[in-house]
Amino acid sequence: MEPKDAAPCCVPFALRVCSMSTLLLFNVFNGLIIGAFYAMMALGLSLILNLSGVINFAHGGFLAIGGYLAYTLVPFLGFWGALIVAPFLTAIVGVAIERVLIRPLYGRDPLYSLLLTFGLAFLIEDGTRFIWGAQSLPYRIPEALNSPLSTEFFFLTGYRVFMVALVALVVLGLFLILTRTRLGLRIRAGTLDLETVSVLGVNVRVLRNLNFGLGIYLAGLAGVLAVGMLGLTPTIGDSLIMPSFITIIVGGLGSLPGTLLGGLLIGVASGLTSVFYPSASEAVIYVIMAAVLIVRPRGLLGEEGRF
Amino acid sequence: MSRPISTIRRRTILKAAAAAGVAQVAAPFVWSARAADTVKIGLDNPLTGTYAALGKNELIGAQLALDQINAKGGILDRKVELLVEDSTSADTATAVQKANKLIERDQVNFLIGNINSGLAQAIANVAFEKGVFHIVPGGHTDTVTGSQCHWNVFRVCNTTRMETNSVSKLLLDKYGKKWYFITTDYAFGHSLQEGFEASLKVAGGTEVGADAVPLQSTDFSAYLIKAQSTNPDAIILLLAGDDMINCLKQAVQFGLDKKFHIAGAQQELEVNLGLPPEALFGDWVFEWYWKQPGVPHVEEFVAEIRKRSGGHVPTARTWFGFASIWTCKLAADKAKSLEAVKLAKAMQGLVLPPEVALMPNNPFYREGDNQLMPTLFVGHSQPAPKGGDPEDLFAVTQEVKGVDAALSVGDTGCKMVWPS
Repeated sequence: MEPKDAAPCCVPFALRVCSMSTLLLFNVFNGLIIGAFYAMMALGLSLILNLSGVINFAHGGFLAIGGYLAYTLVPFLGFWGALIVAPFLTAIVGVAIERVLIRPLYGRDPLYSLLLTFGLAFLIEDGTRFIWGAQSLPYRIPEALNSPLSTEFFFLTGYRVFMVALVALVVLGLFLILTRTRLGLRIRAGTLDLETVSVLGVNVRVLRNLNFGLGIYLAGLAGVLAVGMLGLTPTIGDSLIMPSFITIIVGGLGSLPGTLLGGLLIGVASGLTSVFYPSASEAVIYVIMAAVLIVRPRGLLGEEGRF
Repeated sequence: MSRPISTIRRRTILKAAAAAGVAQVAAPFVWSARAADTVKIGLDNPLTGTYAALGKNELIGAQLALDQINAKGGILDRKVELLVEDSTSADTATAVQKANKLIERDQVNFLIGNINSGLAQAIANVAFEKGVFHIVPGGHTDTVTGSQCHWNVFRVCNTTRMETNSVSKLLLDKYGKKWYFITTDYAFGHSLQEGFEASLKVAGGTEVGADAVPLQSTDFSAYLIKAQSTNPDAIILLLAGDDMINCLKQAVQFGLDKKFHIAGAQQELEVNLGLPPEALFGDWVFEWYWKQPGVPHVEEFVAEIRKRSGGHVPTARTWFGFASIWTCKLAADKAKSLEAVKLAKAMQGLVLPPEVALMPNNPFYREGDNQLMPTLFVGHSQPAPKGGDPEDLFAVTQEVKGVDAALSVGDTGCKMVWPS
């Protein structure tokens, strides 16, 4: 590294940032960035849960698959190619699994599919360990994204800004799909009354299958984005699955805007807690969940009377 | 027909979330067939979770040692058998349950484990209660051979204090005396930080801040923002495994490696292998390194491990597993018995022979605290040299004798009580 005095800007900067308000502001922004990531993962969970009633415990596993597929594809397609292709391949894996394993359980008690995806998470973890090994794998991101945009706001790295922009784009795309396309209309209608949708001639099996694929696509994309910041190991999804579940509980089951809000809220809360009491930075999201369940059990934007 | 969505209740989601917590600690059983007349060594180590890669490497080293020992007639002319259990990476209850199973049901003669400091201490306490000879291969917290030492518990890897003592002078001289700690929030991290704080105090340095970070954290940005705000001479990372990878990757993206010195105590080849080249920097301690020109038997060991691990070189973890199993054999040969007290007595001052030591300075088990006194390898992480081995990711600049880095037995807090 360069000698420290080669970066003179850091001294006056440190004096300014020492003020608590600046530190808090930094962590609010930073929390929003992390929250956006949680939200994207939770949106996939929420889509699947809303239409199919499946609590997808294997969502973190699909995230890992996305990361590993990207790692495998990078030598052939480069970073950008892998970013595009890997989530689609993950979605295809998801569609196949839905068709073979999950479809037979529709109509049964939700605990069946919960237990299935619970086991599936272990299968995926051991499967990725078997194929790619237990050792963490190095994943490089383009040089242009691998540095801060400014010295002062050093936590705004190219990669984080890119990630937030991509999440915003994906969320926008998802909302357009859900509101402007025939598929989206059917998914929304199915969420409200699947039986009527079926009676009207919509192939519900295909609808659920495509919806599951869409949810897994989001998990795969989250995986590709995650490996730019985290070590690529079979357990990469483990630490991210809980915040995702809490995101949808806090935001409100059945509400996609609520999911988005929930993700941002717990991201910011976790970031701010790190300033004062780092050991509680994970626990705080559970406290928020408990508070929401006590005060507003349906979640912040959940529909009244639905749950 | 009812809509599936209507059958999902909030309580179901909460139950699911609770089950997700359970999923973090659930682990498969691993077992192998046993024969009555064999000497049994139980390995209670992580095969899943954040330390799975480290556990796998210790297992590879252990299996090599096992094969070598059996090829030479076993222990006391009996074949040796390795029983492997997955302790998980962080669940003490599971690790203790597996230790009890190995001791009571499998009746192992030797117990080995664990990588996680907290789990290692818990297993050591179980082994002490049951009077079973126990070796800790890779759990570093000082208490194992310090304030909670036991007559029957021995350790191959270094204490955290040995690690901090071996590198602290270099960091103080090279970087300055204002340090910020980012520390993993369990026994290993705590005792590393205590070690560095002691060094800092002696040198008249300042701790400008410290964060205790939950194990298996993914986002280190808040801690890095805080660290930057204190303008330290060095940001000291006292993390391990995936946590270290995540933190180093994010520090590079923040450009902090260009503004501050980032270093620490323990670093592992498994971590370096998971890092992109730009994140391979900083001064650290390796507990064993595969490139030791001129040291007897190291090249043969590296070649043998490459055959067993798809061409990968051994790491310190591989050597820990290897040395632990060989220690069982050496102790039994010296004691001419499998009785725990006799084994432990035989271990006092036992020197590892060169084909097991695989390092300079004749490592030995110190009498009084049962701690191996090996050589520590101080140096810096580096990207693989052009045209060199892609796994040559560390440059050793200094070799420190374990006895020079360790506290005296009196200062460790170990008060060994032998059975009457």
